[in-house]
Formats: sequence, structure tokens, C-alpha cells
Amino acid sequence: MDFLQLGSYTFSSHLILGTGKFSSATVMLEAVRASGAQLVTVALRRFNRDQPADDLFSPLRAVPGITLMPNTSGASTAAEAVRAANIARELSGSPFIKVEIHPNPQHLMPDPIETFEACRILAKEGFLVMPYIAADPVLAKRLEEVGCASVMPLGSAIGSGQGLATVEMLNIIIRESNIPVIVDAGLRSPSEAALAMEMGCGAVLVNSAVAVSDNPPAMAEAFAEAVSAGRKAFKAGLMSKSSLAIATSPLTAFLGAKV
Amino acid sequence: MITIELNGKQQIVPPGSAVTDLLSIIGSDEKSVAIVVNDEIIRPDKRSAHRLLEGDRVEILIFAGGG
Repeated sequence: MDFLQLGSYTFSSHLILGTGKFSSATVMLEAVRASGAQLVTVALRRFNRDQPADDLFSPLRAVPGITLMPNTSGASTAAEAVRAANIARELSGSPFIKVEIHPNPQHLMPDPIETFEACRILAKEGFLVMPYIAADPVLAKRLEEVGCASVMPLGSAIGSGQGLATVEMLNIIIRESNIPVIVDAGLRSPSEAALAMEMGCGAVLVNSAVAVSDNPPAMAEAFAEAVSAGRKAFKAGLMSKSSLAIATSPLTAFLGAKV
Repeated sequence: MITIELNGKQQIVPPGSAVTDLLSIIGSDEKSVAIVVNDEIIRPDKRSAHRLLEGDRVEILIFAGGG
């Protein structure tokens, strides 16, 4: 069996699903089940008595085999992210934390300096730290060195659907990393998820592509199949590229050949 | 009555109210919230004993959808 290893946790699914932007909790839960995802992200929000349906804790807990990975969205500094992580762990009962520090809502690019500092502290405190980062090989290595469980470079901007715009940098990160590389953000289609897995990613994290599709459970299933296919292809070993044609059939002339 | 700050807004509660009393007042499910009083996380087993005081800053947080 081919597992995704994160700290001492193992997952048979290589697809991580986000829970934002769904039209309802019911649709989101159907998509989670259809995806086969075992790791699911959630965000911390203030309780609002006028919107009790916002609370996803109990509905998600009712899905067997799910581990919650809260994010620190809303934090704009390392200190805020560390505080959010500690509050989230209290509620999730899970050591996983997705460190997400993006100070500018226009592009949502992660702050590398604050992210690094938060990860350094949280890894020391025993969290399984999953940082959302730009596709920066140097930063990815530094995060591995301070004890992160994975690195999660963006394929393109959050929610943009621009796919694997960072493919060259992702290839370098994958080549250099000793921890799982998880493409997080920007994916639009299952084929992009398959490509990320063929490149050697340990997993992909998808949210918008599933949540805003016309049929989220069906799209979740499509992503699951693509991730599985891409992973199998990576494990099987892709053939090398050649600038020349290499025949697959014998080229011996026989039609019209003189005997 | 005393006034506390709940999620950034003023909230009136009876004197001597515990955190669990506040949760009852606002109709919150105790199992699905994290509670922070004056920057200190109040764990579930401490909530019934933790009395609120005038001016306390209380944050009640839930898990909502997020990527």
C-alpha cells in the first residue's frame, strides 16, 4: 500500500480537501465522502448565533476516518498564527496545523518571513506543521530543516484556477525535499492534480475547484481518481523524453518489398 | 449584571456567571467551540469553574469552512 506519511500519521488518500466556498454543509459533506479525503482543512471563525450552520465541527466529526487540519487564515503575523494554532488544536484534537499567513487580500501570497517564524515555533511545540508557501525552493528547504511535516507550495494564487503556473519551481522543490510536497492552491482541473502527482508530489490540496463546480461531489470524485492515477504513474516511473522518434514497431520493409 | 466583551461586542451576563453559563445564554454547543478569556484558552474541564468578571474579553470560536 502506498501511504502519505505526515509525521507519525499515514493516509491512504493523497487528496486533501478544503471545506470553504461550498453552497451548504450538506454538499460539502457529500464532496468530502466522494473525495475519499482523510485530511480535511477547516478555518477558525468567531461564533455567530445568527449563523449556526457555519459550525462544521460536529458534521465533520460524524464522517468516519477524517482528521481535521485547521488553518491559520486571518493571521497576518507569526504571533497571531501561533495563537490561532493553539486555539485550533484545542478544538480539533489534531496536531495538524496549516500555517497560512497572507497579509494582502488582493493576491493572498504567503508572507515567507512570518510563515518561517511561525513554523519554527509550532514545530518545536509538537505540531505537525503544514506551511502554505510560495513555490520557493530555498524557503521549502529551510522549513524542512526546522521540522515541518510537509511543505505546501502554491500552484498559482488561491482560488485563481490558474493551475500549475509554478511548475519549474515545484520540480526543484520536489527534487530537493525529504518531506512530502503538497501542491496547495490554484488547481482548476483533475488533470492538473494528476500532473502534480506524476511530478512526485506527495498529495494535492483542492478546495475551490471542487466547491464552485456545478456538481461538487462528482468533481471531488474526479479529483480523487486523477490523484490516484497520477500517483500510480509516478510510482510506475514515467519514460524519459526524447527529441527523436523511437519506433514501437519493426521498421523492416515488407509491403512491396522484393523477395 | 456585569458587562463583558464577547467576540468584540458588549454582552451582559449575571454576576458570578461561569463560562458554561455564557454558552447557555448565547445558545452555543459547548463541544464545538474553543473559548479564550483575556488571551487564555479555557479548556472544557475548566469552563464551569471559570467565573467571568466585569470587562473580561471573551472569544468564542468555531470551525467554519476554509481551504
